[in-house]
Amino acid sequence: MDFERENLSDTVAVVRGVGRLNMVSAPHLREAVASAIADGRAQVVVDLSGVEFMDSSGLGALVGCLKTTRQAGGDLRIAAPSDQVTMVLQLSNLDRILTSYASPEVAYRD
Amino acid sequence: MTDFVLVLDSPTDDINTVHNFIENVWESNPELDAMDRLRFETALIELAANVIQHGGKGGSIVATVSLSIDDDVIRGQIVDQSEAGAVELGLREMPDEYAESGRGIAFIQRLVDVLHYERNGGDNLWMIEKRRTHA
Repeated sequence: MDFERENLSDTVAVVRGVGRLNMVSAPHLREAVASAIADGRAQVVVDLSGVEFMDSSGLGALVGCLKTTRQAGGDLRIAAPSDQVTMVLQLSNLDRILTSYASPEVAYRD
Repeated sequence: MTDFVLVLDSPTDDINTVHNFIENVWESNPELDAMDRLRFETALIELAANVIQHGGKGGSIVATVSLSIDDDVIRGQIVDQSEAGAVELGLREMPDEYAESGRGIAFIQRLVDVLHYERNGGDNLWMIEKRRTHA
């Protein structure tokens, strides 16, 4: 699975991919978020609407990306997680620190 | 009881091979509860990822993944011949929210009813079981 980046504004970028976020694709997510930060957009929303499955490797990549965006003065938010992704977020208590939004467009309205 | 078997030959095969195998099993067993499937698949993928990551010397490993479904239980088994791992299967605490690894076994323990490991001759044998939910 590859990730694409779309710039929502001068400071906000959406990263999205279709498929499974696992030990194979997790490094690609890290690269996509690092590229957004390097491009001056440290406010990142990961659109999970196309992610049918996430395992602990994928979750680890999300946590890593959350930390790198915050270190760069931004934040990482997620949009439209599937039932399986929501289950994994709850199981790991990550739902406490990763705020989920209905769509990428509303993630940075505040 | 229905049995399904996959011979996983990594690195030619990877974790997506296991996903495709499980998806085929679900397609031929559409009567399974959706949440049972989600929990079992997540646990089996964590187990397979663990075997692929920690089992292979020089990055290669051959493992047999089998899955069986009966009226009460979905059972998964992974057998490989790599060195015995120092596996601590006491109940794992969930790592803190900011940890980037170390959740695999803790996930499995919370997703299914049984997680079992044994060394049998030169084999590592991993087994998980999820009791089925009946409407």
